[in-house]
Amino acid sequence: MQARPVHRFSFAERAIHWLAALSFLYAALSGLALWSHHLYWLATVLGGGVVTRWGHPWGGIVFALLVGAMFLIWARQMRLDSDDRTWLRHAKKYAVHDEAGLPAAGRFNGGQKMLFWGQVVLTLLLLASGVVLWFPEWMPRNFRLAAILIHPIVAAGSIGMIILHIYMGTAAVPGSFRAMIRGWVTPGWATSHHPKWYREISKN
Amino acid sequence: MHTVAKLVDTSTCIGCKACEVACQEWNDQDFTISGFDGSYQTLPDLEHNFWNLIKFNELSREDGQMTWNMAKYQCMHCVDPGCLRSCPAPGAIFQQKDGIVDFNHDLCIGCGYCITGCPFDVPRLSPNSKKVYKCSLCSDRTAVGLEPACIKACPTNCLTFGTREDLIQIANARAGELKQDGHAGAGIYNPEGVGGTHVLYVLKDAADPESYGLPKDPKIPWTVSLWQGPVKWLGNLLFTGGILGAFFHYLRYGPKPTGDEEGSDA
Ligand code: HEM
Ligand code: SF4
Ligand code: SF4
Repeated sequence: MQARPVHRFSFAERAIHWLAALSFLYAALSGLALWSHHLYWLATVLGGGVVTRWGHPWGGIVFALLVGAMFLIWARQMRLDSDDRTWLRHAKKYAVHDEAGLPAAGRFNGGQKMLFWGQVVLTLLLLASGVVLWFPEWMPRNFRLAAILIHPIVAAGSIGMIILHIYMGTAAVPGSFRAMIRGWVTPGWATSHHPKWYREISKN
Repeated sequence: MHTVAKLVDTSTCIGCKACEVACQEWNDQDFTISGFDGSYQTLPDLEHNFWNLIKFNELSREDGQMTWNMAKYQCMHCVDPGCLRSCPAPGAIFQQKDGIVDFNHDLCIGCGYCITGCPFDVPRLSPNSKKVYKCSLCSDRTAVGLEPACIKACPTNCLTFGTREDLIQIANARAGELKQDGHAGAGIYNPEGVGGTHVLYVLKDAADPESYGLPKDPKIPWTVSLWQGPVKWLGNLLFTGGILGAFFHYLRYGPKPTGDEEGSDA
């Protein structure tokens, strides 16, 4: 039996999410091209070293703007409540699919909220340090010395979080990729992953 | 193999700036006087199109008279170059077997990392070409057995070109002479923090290189060493660990139930 689809993400939410994903992919690949000589072939694929150096900061700016857009549409829904805190304390159980004692998640669970806030903070740091690296000729030496250390550390943390996010959004939680592509989920999916949210939207 | 070097005997520099002119001529560079700041120095600092500067460091002597600690300033051709360690573009900076550190501008992407990595603040980004420039120790002359242009032009033999081993000996001998002449603090400048340099100095006051405009104990900045060392290893570990971790999590635990399985009550 085909269950009635439950609307989960609006077109605007999906568009912002995927534009952010694309710009992040470009920023990450063009940044990683400079991360190590062994990855410099990425620069060749992306149009050569000069193009990569020119394009990366712009890709980063576009990404930062889209994170700003996500902040505007999602920040209120991403506030952690006491259930989320309990959820986070037992995140290990979630990871091994032993969810019996976990508090019911709202539209976003504690892990998703932490990913959101984490990326907001890391993006601000990437933006600040990235702008310093962008214009070395105008920046005081101490700023440059700090940025050259901070930018790649934060970038690595951010890429690490996104690896986890991609895994969760594709293989680990079937149904969530379709939610972000087509915008809907099944009632079963909503009940098992975000019961508090499903209860709320079914009320109206 | 013997490496090459340049020796600057600051005690015999008369500030004629012949080396500056020779450098501009040989490297075919236009430059504009960017401003006059009340000093005898040609420009306040190195520029992307001005790689060799005689610094006229003004000091007051014990008798109250003014004096100059004149010193030639350019790329030091470090044995362990911070610029090279920082550069992300393979081949854009390279160190020759003879010790010369040179830039290949076709490969430079203009990121400016080398400017930050250099303990002597030498490389300069050109606003026109968006590439970075500095003294090449006239690698295009030394390759065919000529001495660098600055050395060719120097009228007082303040500048010498030769093998690094020979010049260290000559420099030590000259410092000994200066000591006998009453300059008790004379010595050579060949900073250990960058493994030594291929530009050596004889200073009358070796304990105070800063009075010649030379950094006292130059080292590759620690943030640069950390960035190009442990940060890269830990980052690589994180990336591979993340991908492998996800893969093995899937093998061990598989996907979450979708909630639509047979027998679920949705
Ligand atoms: C937010 C705005 C951003 C700005 C203004 C910015 C700017 C820069 C600049 C100027 C560089 C130097 C080389 C180049 O231009 O390619 C750089 C390097 C780099 N960026 Fe960004 N970036 C930003 C965001 C990002 C993001 C989102 C990532 C990916 C997670 C990232 C990852 C990197 C990496 C890995 C490097 C190389 C670091 C190294 O050489 O060790 N950046 N960035
Ligand atoms: S002085 Fe600076 S530019 Fe010259 S070799 Fe040393 S680190 Fe590189
Ligand atoms: S500006 Fe050019 S030479 Fe300097 S680090 Fe970047 S690519 Fe290398």
